[in-house]
Amino acid sequence: MRPAAIAWDRAATVQAAARRWRDAGAIDDATLARIRQTFPDPCLTPTPAWRVLTAGMVAAIVLCVFAALLVSFWRSAGLLQAALFLVGAACLVITDRLAGSPRWARRGVAGALSVLGVGFLLLGVALLVGESLRLGEDAAVDAVAVTALLLCGLAAWRWGSPLFTGLAGVALLVGLARLPSARALWIAAGAGLVAAAAPRLDSGRLAPSQRRGAAVLTAVGLGAIYVATDLHALDAGLLERLGHLAPTRPAVGGSQRLAAALGTALIPPAILAWGLVSRRTLLLDIGIVLLALSAVTLRHYVALAPAWVMLTGGGALLAGAALLVERALRRAPAGERAGFTAEPLFSDERRQQTLEMAGAVTTFAPRTPAPPDEGFAGGGGRFGGGGAQERF
Amino acid sequence: MVNPDVVGAIARLRAEGVLSSVQAARFERVARRGLVSLRFEIRALLYAGVLLVTAGVGSLIARHQQEIGPVAIALGVGLAALGCLAWVGRRAAPFSWGPVPSPGVAFDYVLLLGLLLAAADLAYVEAQFAILGPRWPRHLVVVAALDLLAAYTWDSRTALGLALTSLAAWRGVVVGLAPALLGPGIAADLRANAIALGALSLAVAVASARLGRKPHFESVYAPAGLLLLLGGLLGGTLYDAQAWTLWLLATLIVAGLVMVVAVRLRRSLYFALGVPAAYVALVRLLFEPFRYGSHADSLPLLLSAGLGAGVLALILAVHRRVREE
Repeated sequence: MRPAAIAWDRAATVQAAARRWRDAGAIDDATLARIRQTFPDPCLTPTPAWRVLTAGMVAAIVLCVFAALLVSFWRSAGLLQAALFLVGAACLVITDRLAGSPRWARRGVAGALSVLGVGFLLLGVALLVGESLRLGEDAAVDAVAVTALLLCGLAAWRWGSPLFTGLAGVALLVGLARLPSARALWIAAGAGLVAAAAPRLDSGRLAPSQRRGAAVLTAVGLGAIYVATDLHALDAGLLERLGHLAPTRPAVGGSQRLAAALGTALIPPAILAWGLVSRRTLLLDIGIVLLALSAVTLRHYVALAPAWVMLTGGGALLAGAALLVERALRRAPAGERAGFTAEPLFSDERRQQTLEMAGAVTTFAPRTPAPPDEGFAGGGGRFGGGGAQERF
Repeated sequence: MVNPDVVGAIARLRAEGVLSSVQAARFERVARRGLVSLRFEIRALLYAGVLLVTAGVGSLIARHQQEIGPVAIALGVGLAALGCLAWVGRRAAPFSWGPVPSPGVAFDYVLLLGLLLAAADLAYVEAQFAILGPRWPRHLVVVAALDLLAAYTWDSRTALGLALTSLAAWRGVVVGLAPALLGPGIAADLRANAIALGALSLAVAVASARLGRKPHFESVYAPAGLLLLLGGLLGGTLYDAQAWTLWLLATLIVAGLVMVVAVRLRRSLYFALGVPAAYVALVRLLFEPFRYGSHADSLPLLLSAGLGAGVLALILAVHRRVREE
C-alpha cells in the first residue's frame, strides 16, 4: 500500500470509531468535529448506496465495452484473448491510479474496476491455455489458480484489499487441492495461514484494511484445516473432487477416518476456546459456524432422532443457549463477565437490524400463488405459508 | 481485534483534552479488547434458532401429518403461535407512534417466530380445509393484516416487511430486484398489481413521515414501494411489445421524479433505485433500432457504454451537490 493510503486508512478508522461513540451518545457533535480536525481524512467516502450505484454503473460501462469487443472479435480466439488482456490490464492500471487519489479511492470506481480487471485477466488466461495452447481443461484450471494467486496477492499487497487477500488464500487452496496429498497440504497451508495471519490481527504496523485482510486469511486458514479434517468431507472425497475435473476416489483407511472424526469433533471447540480466551469475536463466530457443521456431520452418520426433532431441538437449543448467555452477562456485576458483555457497546445496531430484517423478509416471504386458471390444489397438505416449506 | 490506531488516537485525544479521562478509559478498554460485546453473536444465534424451529415444525407436519391429523396440527401450531404472541404482548412496551425500544434481545425473535408459525398455520388450515375455496390466496391477506397489526402494535420493521411481502404475494408479485429484470417477463395484470401496490406503499410512506405516525417505517415502505413501482414500469418497458414506448416514458418520468425527490430529501438509497431503472429503460430504447438486424452489432453496446458514462457523470455531479449542501 502507498504510505499516503495507509495514513488515510488510519484516519478513516479513527473517524469511524468516533462516529460510533457519537451515535452511542458517548460524545457530542462538537467533540466529533474536534476529532475530525485532529485526524483529518482527505478521502471522499460516500455512503454504501452511492458506492454501490457508482460501482454498478462503472461495471455496466466496462461490460458494455467488452461486449462490443466480443461481438466484433468473437470469430478470432486470438483477438478475443488480446481484448481480454487489454481490457483487464487497463482496468487494473486505472484502479492503481484511482487508489492513489483521495478523491477517487473510496467512491466505488476503483473497487469495480479491480474486480473486473482480475476477472478479465483470469478469463483470458483460461482461454489462452485451454483453447489457443490446447493444453486441456486441467491445465487451464491450474493456470487460472496460479494466476489468481499472483494477481489477487499483488492486488492485496498494493491496495490492501481484504477481498483480494481472501481470494488469494482461496486460490492457494484450490491450487494445492490439485497436487498429490492435497489433504495434508491443506492442513499445512491452513496452519501456515493461521500462523502467519493471526499474530498480525492487532499489529500496529499494518494498515486497518491489511489487518482486516489478516482476519480474512485467518478465517480461510481455519476453514481449510476444518475441511481437510472433516469426516464427511473425507468420505465424500470433497478435496479430490475439487482437485480434478474427473475425480478418483482413493481408499480411505480406518485410522484416517478416526483422525478425521477426532478433527471434526475437536477443532470447533478448540477454536471456540481460543476465541473465549483471547476475546476475539472473529474466532467465536468461526467456532460457532464450524460447530454447526460438525453437528450436521454427526447427524449424517448418527440418526439420533428424526429430522424434525433435530431441527426443532437444535433451534430451541441455540435460542436457549443465546438467552442463557445474554441473561448471565446482563445479570453480572456492571453487565460484564470475563471481559464480555451483552451490551452493543459502540457497534451499529441499526445496520445490523436492517440486515436482519432484509434476511427475514427474503427467507420467509410467502410464495406467490399459482395463476388462477390452474385452479386450487390443496396438494395433500402441502405446507407453505410464511415461507415455511415441506422441503428442507 | 485490538485497534492500535484507535488506541493511539485515544491517547492523543486525551492528552489534547478532546476526550475526558472517563471517556478515554472506556473507549480504550473497548479498543484494547478489554471489553468485548457478544450482542451480534447472541442475535445471530437467536435468528438461527427461529429458522431451525420453523423448519422443524414444517418438517414435522410434512412427514407426520397422516399420523397426527390435520386438526391436531392446526391446533398445535396455532397454540404455539398464540403462545409466542402472548409472551410478546406481555413483555411489550406501551404503544407509541414513535420508535419504541425493544424490551429485550429475545423480543424481536419470539415475535418473528410467532408470526411465522401463525402464517404457516393459516396456510395449513386453508390447504387442508379449503375454507376460502378457489379464493385461497386470500389467506395471504389475513397473514398480511396480522403482520401489519403486529408491526404497528409492537413497532417491528421485520413484521412490516413480512406484511408487505405477504400482500405482494397475494397479488402474485415478489418484492425484489431480479424478477422484473432477469425473468422471462411478467404478465400485464401482475405489472398492474406491482404498480398499484408500489404506489400504495409509497403513499403510506409519505403519510407516515408527514403525519408522524411511525415515521421510521418510511425506511420499509418507501424502498419496497419503489422496487414494486419501478419494477412494474420497467417490466412494461422491456416486455410489452405494443406499448413499450409509453412504458418507457412513464418509467423515465417516475424515475426522474424519484431522483429529484431523493436528492431533496437526501435519501441516497432512493436515488440508487431510480438511476438503474432509468438507465435500463434508456438502454432498451438504444437497442430498439438494432433489434431486427441480421447480425449482432457492437454499436448499441458502445452507445450503452456512452450512456453509462453520462449516467456516471450525473451520479458524481449529484453526489457533489448533495455533499456541498
